Amino acid sequence: MRPRTVKMWRDLSAARGRVAVMILAIAVAMSGVGALLIARTVIVREAEAVYVGTNPASATLEVDGGVDAALLAQVRTRPGVTDAAARQTVLTRVRVGDQWRRMLLFVIAPDDPMRVAKLRMESGAWPPADSELLIERTAGPVLDATAGDRLAVAGPSGATTEVRISGTVYDAALAPAGQESTGYGYLTPAGLARLGFTASANELRIVTPGRDEAGVEATATAVAAWLTAQGREVHLVQAPPYQHPHHSQSETITGMFLAFAVAALVLAGVLVAATLGGMLAAQTRQIGIMKTVGATTGQLLRVYLGAVAGIAATATVLAVGPALLAGYGLSGLVAEMLNVEIANWATPWWVPVTYLAAGLAIPLAVALVPLVRAARITVRSALDEHGAGTGVGSRRSDRWLARLRGGRLSTLALRNLLRRRGRLALTVALLAAGGAMFTSGLNSSAAWRSWVDDGMARRAYDAQLRLTSPAPVDTITMAATAVDGVVAAEPFVSLVATPAAPDGRIEVQRTYPDDGHGRFLLTALPAPTRMVDLDVTAGRWLLAGDTDGIVLNQSAVSRLGDPRLGDDVHLAVDGVVGRWRLIGTVAEAGGPATAYTNPQSVTRFVDPGTANMLHIVTTGDTEVVTDEVEAALATAGLMVGESMLIEDLRTAIDEHVAIFIGTLLAIAALMAAVGILGLAATMSITVTQRTREYGVMQAIGARPATIRRMVLLEGTLTGLLGSLVAVALGVPLSVLVGELLGRISFGLPLPLQLSPGGLAAWLVLSVAAAAAATLVAAHRAARLTIRETLTYQ
Amino acid sequence: MTKTYPVPGGEFPALSGVDMSVGAGEFTAVVGRSGSGKTTLLNLLAGIDRPTAGEIRVAGTAVHEVRETQLAAWRGLAVGLVFQFFQLLPTLTVAENVMLPMDFRGAVAARRRRPLALELLDRVGIAEHADKVPAGLSGGQQQRAAIARALANDPPVILADEPTGNLDSATAAAVLELFRDLARAGKAVVMVTHERDLSGYADRLVTLVDGRVAKDVAVSA
Repeated sequence: MRPRTVKMWRDLSAARGRVAVMILAIAVAMSGVGALLIARTVIVREAEAVYVGTNPASATLEVDGGVDAALLAQVRTRPGVTDAAARQTVLTRVRVGDQWRRMLLFVIAPDDPMRVAKLRMESGAWPPADSELLIERTAGPVLDATAGDRLAVAGPSGATTEVRISGTVYDAALAPAGQESTGYGYLTPAGLARLGFTASANELRIVTPGRDEAGVEATATAVAAWLTAQGREVHLVQAPPYQHPHHSQSETITGMFLAFAVAALVLAGVLVAATLGGMLAAQTRQIGIMKTVGATTGQLLRVYLGAVAGIAATATVLAVGPALLAGYGLSGLVAEMLNVEIANWATPWWVPVTYLAAGLAIPLAVALVPLVRAARITVRSALDEHGAGTGVGSRRSDRWLARLRGGRLSTLALRNLLRRRGRLALTVALLAAGGAMFTSGLNSSAAWRSWVDDGMARRAYDAQLRLTSPAPVDTITMAATAVDGVVAAEPFVSLVATPAAPDGRIEVQRTYPDDGHGRFLLTALPAPTRMVDLDVTAGRWLLAGDTDGIVLNQSAVSRLGDPRLGDDVHLAVDGVVGRWRLIGTVAEAGGPATAYTNPQSVTRFVDPGTANMLHIVTTGDTEVVTDEVEAALATAGLMVGESMLIEDLRTAIDEHVAIFIGTLLAIAALMAAVGILGLAATMSITVTQRTREYGVMQAIGARPATIRRMVLLEGTLTGLLGSLVAVALGVPLSVLVGELLGRISFGLPLPLQLSPGGLAAWLVLSVAAAAAATLVAAHRAARLTIRETLTYQ
Repeated sequence: MTKTYPVPGGEFPALSGVDMSVGAGEFTAVVGRSGSGKTTLLNLLAGIDRPTAGEIRVAGTAVHEVRETQLAAWRGLAVGLVFQFFQLLPTLTVAENVMLPMDFRGAVAARRRRPLALELLDRVGIAEHADKVPAGLSGGQQQRAAIARALANDPPVILADEPTGNLDSATAAAVLELFRDLARAGKAVVMVTHERDLSGYADRLVTLVDGRVAKDVAVSA
């Protein structure tokens, strides 16, 4: 081996601790980078594969009165239509033990060739008998049942009918049943009729040859026009993007996390640069000597870059295992969350290539500047180098520092701290960047909780019930308030609506036909309402006299194409189009796109003085009281089609992002760890460089304990400084993360919410970690003998 | 040549109008008090520093004209430097220290480097310590190793900055003998020193006072 290589190898061996810290920092960051590269690639690809594999409809048209076989055959011959299917979706309930659970029934004709929106049979056979249904594979836990068990499914009257589960299917286009707290069942029209519902295949699903937005929209509009010409009413046209419903969320969130992991890698690179820079600063004289014996700047630079490459390569290789474990683990978790079955776990060739390139290139790129600076030093400067302190006293700030008075130890520690300002800035930057990520993770988590808490608090009710048909408000109120445990009851109207064009034409919606991604409600609350107090973001809330005023939540604003206050809003309910004036917008946590209006403006859809929904405020066990309210309503002849406890809504909202918040915190912790490692490395370098100075101090009477305390104080002060900067930097970063996370989850940025407990914990943790990280260096400094220190070169 | 340094009060003349030449095979000792300009002179000869005015030619090269980026390469082949504190790289063995200039300059084929290093170490009398790290050697042995390293690329010029300043008198005498032998072998040796009695070793004694050559005399044997 060449002497220069031997030298670098032995230098690194002599600094094993620091090298280990550098390798650890890069490995930690690379584990994150690798894991997210894998998770992002696998999830996005597989979600697309399973979604495309179902041959989803290019567009779904809701046709009043249903589509029979003859009409379907005609639709299949329409220009631009390559295939079509007629389906029906019914929302009902199922009795699970002593509880009701939401249940979506997907109705498919026995002779449906299952070429569109395909299901994969996992057990049992299609079609099921009239007394049977199949359930989606994720629905078992929600329904507390498996194939062979019987379900008590509610009909339109509320009466239940026993249905046997004949098998399970995999429906890749649906979110997991548990996440939606909804059971998914698949049955034939005859099976549906057996439950008491009217079978009517009102969802016409068409497939177009191309999947481009304009082409699909043109074909869907043409088919809708043709159906209208045939005397059929089309209430809704949905043409969702040709990608998995969660595609953009998965891509954006994994992209954000990947960016954070890359930021952690850059931080690790900075740590390597700072550590190597420090090691080289301690070797300045040796660099000078090598130059006197003929070493050129380029030769030295290559040696040092080789060392960085070696360190980065070792870390990158070491991180492969954790990256694979975490990457596939995260892929599995997200896949489960999206109900995506991963058929192919392989990663494309560019993932390992990108991983290796990032692992080598980023640390090398970041380390280049300090290495070039070290290698370019002139022989004269190198031979004149006498360790830390060169140049101290020449700056104005040095003179200011010299005037600083305080405790002898603290003054000394503070002055020492500010001697190498470049390094201090680097260390503080490392700590601050790690800490800012950490605190922004905590802040975003707190903002999430606060937003959901606030959203829940703005719903003053404990449960919401949907009647199968509208009933007089007084009857509903009397029946509900007669139940022990009901503090207040407020009936209201809520109808499924469809955005419409001003001329009454139904506009093509870019939403999915799964009842979860694209429902639009028109809700008429009493004015004033005692149950809902939403946060008004523009304009105002409804007043009793508003006959045509409407208030939209953020999802509705987005669905309607961001109308301005005063604009007209057109919505259709069961084919009847209404016009309202936008008077305000509100922020709402959870729930679908909703337009709020007054009861008097929905009388064209429901009889005046009637309602189909009920909010109740309870004392005691809400679930029990809600059951009793249902019973009381049934006694009054009113059937409940669905009931939802507010705490269940909270659980559903939390479950949607729990994994993302968890991942954010995990990455934030990684970055904080890199920051702390950086401090440890820097303090170690500082102590090494000042070895001679400690000897001088001891020679003039300083005790080892004094030196230990001084170094410790210096590290702790650095930690404190870094932590404070981190807290400040964490604020804009929290805004950024909150913007992204909030928009993806709710369509609105999360409000800035500082987590006081989290920030205090971070301050304490980082200062303590800084002290601990410095302890080793402080201990080493204190143990040096005067002879060792004064002979140190 | 002249060399001045900027100081708060103006320019400090470290060397003023120094005009001298050292021939091959000549062992020149430069003496003077602290601050007389001895080390500055050596730094200028080695291309570590540049003159403010004047010219420096070493082994046929106008050192003052060599670009900064090329100086290291030139120095590695043309000049062998020896320091007061030896300045051996602590993590390399003695032999590896000697091989380092060969490695950087590539003037010696890779397979020839270790034999040549051992040869040089044998010449300075410490071949048996070739595979020890510098810390395991005495001061005198370390200085011999440093001299062997200075000879690694067979430079025509050897510059030594107080090479005996950190050695006992017996060891210092041995080191001076080595320099004398190198000069006899054709090297131009310039040594900055505080040694008083150089008779028997140096051929010439240059005395610097306040940056000027005050005396330039031949040393009697």
